Amino acid sequence: MAASAIAPAETGSHGGFADFGHALAQRERRFAAALLAPAFLALLATTTFPLIFLVWTSTYRMNLAMPFMNGFVGFENYRVLLTDERFWSSLLISLVYTGATVALQVAIGLALALLVMDMKRGQGWFRLIAILPVVLSPAVVGMIWRTFMLAPDFGIVDFLAVNAGLGSQNWLGDPTLAMVSVIAIHTWQWTPFAFMVLLASLASLPEDIYEAARLDRATAWQRFRRITLPLLRPAIVMVVIMRTMVALTAFAAIFTVTAGGPGTATEILNLYAYRKSFTELSIGYGAALAVALLIVTIIISGVLFALRRAK
Amino acid sequence: MTGRRLHTAVVLAISSVLLLAWAFPIIWSVLNSFKTDSDVLAYPPKLIFSPTLGAYRDVLFGSGSILPNLVSSMIISVGTTIVTMLMAIPAAYALARLRFHGKKFAGFYVLTTQMLPPVGIIIPYFLVLRNIGWIDTYQGIILIYLSFSLPFAIWLLVSYFEDVPFEMEEAAYLDGASRLRTLWRIIIPQVRGGIAVTIVFVFLNAWNEFLFAVVLSGNTVRPVTVAMFNFVSVEQTLWAKLAAVSVLAMLPVVVLGVVAQKQIVKGLTVGAVKGGGRR
Amino acid sequence: MTSFAPTRRTLLKTGTAAAALATFAPAVLRRARADDADLTPYKSAKVDWQQTKGETITVAVIPASYFENLISLAPQFKELTGIDVRFEKIPPAQIRQKSVIDLTSKTGTYATHAADPMYYALYAANKWVEPLDAYLNDKSLTDTAWFNFDDIIPAWRSANGINGKLYGMPYDGEVTIQVYRKDLYDAKGLKPADTLEAYVSNAAALNAPNDRIWGAALRGLAGAGQNMYIYPSIFREFGGDWMKGGKLTVNGPEAEAALAWYVDLMKKYAPTAAANWNWPDIADAFSQGTVASYIDAHSSASVINNPQKSKVIGKVAYARWPKGPSGKRTTSIWNWGFPINAALSEKKKKATWLFIQWAASAETQARTAHRFAGPTKRSGVNRTSIWKDPDYIKLMNGFGPNFVEATMDALQHDTDVDWRPRVPQWPAIGDTMATAIQSALSGQATVKAALDEAQRRIEPMMRG
Repeated sequence: MAASAIAPAETGSHGGFADFGHALAQRERRFAAALLAPAFLALLATTTFPLIFLVWTSTYRMNLAMPFMNGFVGFENYRVLLTDERFWSSLLISLVYTGATVALQVAIGLALALLVMDMKRGQGWFRLIAILPVVLSPAVVGMIWRTFMLAPDFGIVDFLAVNAGLGSQNWLGDPTLAMVSVIAIHTWQWTPFAFMVLLASLASLPEDIYEAARLDRATAWQRFRRITLPLLRPAIVMVVIMRTMVALTAFAAIFTVTAGGPGTATEILNLYAYRKSFTELSIGYGAALAVALLIVTIIISGVLFALRRAK
Repeated sequence: MTGRRLHTAVVLAISSVLLLAWAFPIIWSVLNSFKTDSDVLAYPPKLIFSPTLGAYRDVLFGSGSILPNLVSSMIISVGTTIVTMLMAIPAAYALARLRFHGKKFAGFYVLTTQMLPPVGIIIPYFLVLRNIGWIDTYQGIILIYLSFSLPFAIWLLVSYFEDVPFEMEEAAYLDGASRLRTLWRIIIPQVRGGIAVTIVFVFLNAWNEFLFAVVLSGNTVRPVTVAMFNFVSVEQTLWAKLAAVSVLAMLPVVVLGVVAQKQIVKGLTVGAVKGGGRR
Repeated sequence: MTSFAPTRRTLLKTGTAAAALATFAPAVLRRARADDADLTPYKSAKVDWQQTKGETITVAVIPASYFENLISLAPQFKELTGIDVRFEKIPPAQIRQKSVIDLTSKTGTYATHAADPMYYALYAANKWVEPLDAYLNDKSLTDTAWFNFDDIIPAWRSANGINGKLYGMPYDGEVTIQVYRKDLYDAKGLKPADTLEAYVSNAAALNAPNDRIWGAALRGLAGAGQNMYIYPSIFREFGGDWMKGGKLTVNGPEAEAALAWYVDLMKKYAPTAAANWNWPDIADAFSQGTVASYIDAHSSASVINNPQKSKVIGKVAYARWPKGPSGKRTTSIWNWGFPINAALSEKKKKATWLFIQWAASAETQARTAHRFAGPTKRSGVNRTSIWKDPDYIKLMNGFGPNFVEATMDALQHDTDVDWRPRVPQWPAIGDTMATAIQSALSGQATVKAALDEAQRRIEPMMRG
């Protein structure tokens, strides 16, 4: 993400400061160091140190329930992890959750952006309402959905479902429906993000290409497939990357809505690591799970960035 | 022609349904917050009821008042924003404009710090803060919030700093202005807009944080996202109050969202080229 | 609030009392302090209450009315002892985690906390908390005759002890009982169930989902304190034994029969939503008239008698747990107790003990229960003598017929110290079992598969 932000700056500064000479360059380095120091010290302290600690912890047996058994175990936690069915199922759930929410956000967001693109009046309303879910705390969102929306005895969704002839459903108690529900909630909260980004990208597309296409008597669908989509591709890929990162580390909303239940039906990897560490007090193994999550995140972002470069 | 009118009608219908779908959960919570518990529990759900301010009175002025928690959230968010900006602006400037060894690595480092799973690093946080006696203190929480607000702010700002034309800086520099002075006088005014956008996002992310706050907060410092759970009590769920607290927790960010609508859209779309927030 | 007419009026008053949480008026509390601030009953104890004057201790509790009442009396404690108590309210879902982290880090942040009885095995194994016997027997710290430890409900005392040593002083507790709609039962000529079989047939007889009435509900939400709170009773009633041959066993024929009974009841006769219900949700549904019966904590009676939201006031009655196939009735033996953090200085430990002695004393128990001036009276007092106090009984009878009898019978005859496996690994085991139970209930796994999987996960935990 930031890599792209940094690279152009560098090439830019080459030209700009090439004439200043060696002494100036040295002063510049010192100045840069002074400017960077506070932020980087803070980052070292709040991110790098905990990461080292995390990796170190993951090589220990560290169980708060039985401190007398604690000790260095090398890769033992990772060996156990590879044969832990619950790890694999939570990883799968994480991937399904991420894939489904990201796909839905992009699809709905794009459709909506196309829908309101030409709207003269009313677009302002869309923008305004679209802001609302995005600024809310996922914990509050989870709470609202779990109670006032999805509670089967008095929640509004169930009432609507019953009236639509679907019958009273156990939205959070049935393994499949619970998964659908948490995906729907995440999609509800974050689709406006995709919508706003894609709407802005659409607005910046050159109008004359469309004119040319219209003269060529291309249908609306053809115009979309051949012109809009390719032009939007960079924006879509970026939305996918950003939303994927967020979905992979999502926590608060699922935590408040289902806490991973029923059973382990919505237990994403993040949540499994949390439960292992804080409910079962197995800190060492929980750390190994967190490291696994980090590795998965790095691999997926690597793949996505590679995709982005392959234009 | 009728096809065109039909088209408009369909667009209008679909868009109204979608608008409603987005606004509804929020509207519904607001409605519930003006109900009594028995009206909240009513089946079929009541759209028409005699509104009461009872829930708000209780959560604001009752024994388990949420006011201190709103204040806590505010102090944490404002504090995080100030500290983050003070560190992020110079760092972003350096990354965007200065030439030095290891710059690429520094930029990459900022990027990678964002990938850390919060769940995994909360234990070390806890242990360290405990050792320095910073559990349940503002400085403790604000320090920890830097872990996600700082990288985000830095690379949002970097993109704004990059857009400032180099000529301006060079001119000032050749006039004999010191680097710091140039930064303060020439560059920062140019990125005012970007700074505003960043402030909005840092504030929002700090206000909405949940996981760190659960583990690291206590009686003195407990933001509203955590305190909210006290209304799903041991003895009974206080539905109307829960709704009222949710609305109060949403209020500041919704107001900010509406007021700073332009900044948010800008931040998101700039972010779409450079990256985005972390929740 | 001293004269109670044992009729409809009491009922209404108790109802108001139950509404406590909803209308907790500080003004009433201030009055409570003024009226009842007489310290003579405490000063009659032969203890130097002022011996740790000037200390400050932090006590973690949950946001529940029975602790709110205690908090409102804290100024009296301060006046009596010169000790400042800082209360920290933490939701029940987080208090265990927070206290364990505090104990394991040995910082002594919480001098004492509202402790889950299932955690004492863990606390004791790590020597994180002090055995309380030394404090009880220390003449300079405790007036044995005044404190009268034996008056505290025996089941809760044994639940808070490990190998004969007491680690937490019971403050407030509960038992699980049958709660049913007398009007519906009477209309069909049904009696409260005496056996689990009869409980199912009662539920079947009253189940009418089309009229929005379901036969029964039990806790379905996954959690060591939720479904793993109700299931252990069933497991024991089916003759299950957690420590079969000295080895922790959660599967096998008894477990399968017990879990199958639970799943069957919940699937056929409970609202589908109950799979995610904790007890406030059950009580809410019952108070809206949609559930004919449930088995849960006796303290839930206050919610279903809350005039602000209940539609079933006056239609509720109570009974003990139905007997299981083994002939046993097994209630929960839940109580919130106060341990002493071993990481404290000697002086702070003494101050903490004085606090515990004060909070668990008959006088404070009465002052936070029937003699409390605020609207909520406690229903979980720790003293046998108070459960025999006519004023208290009158108040409790307001909840409906047979409430006191069912609760007392359960407390005296139906408790079982091995209700849940008391081992240090409980946090992990409780969570694993909770997940297994819900997997079976939601159909994610069969009963047998869920239990066998739980057993497979639990075995390495027990190996250490």
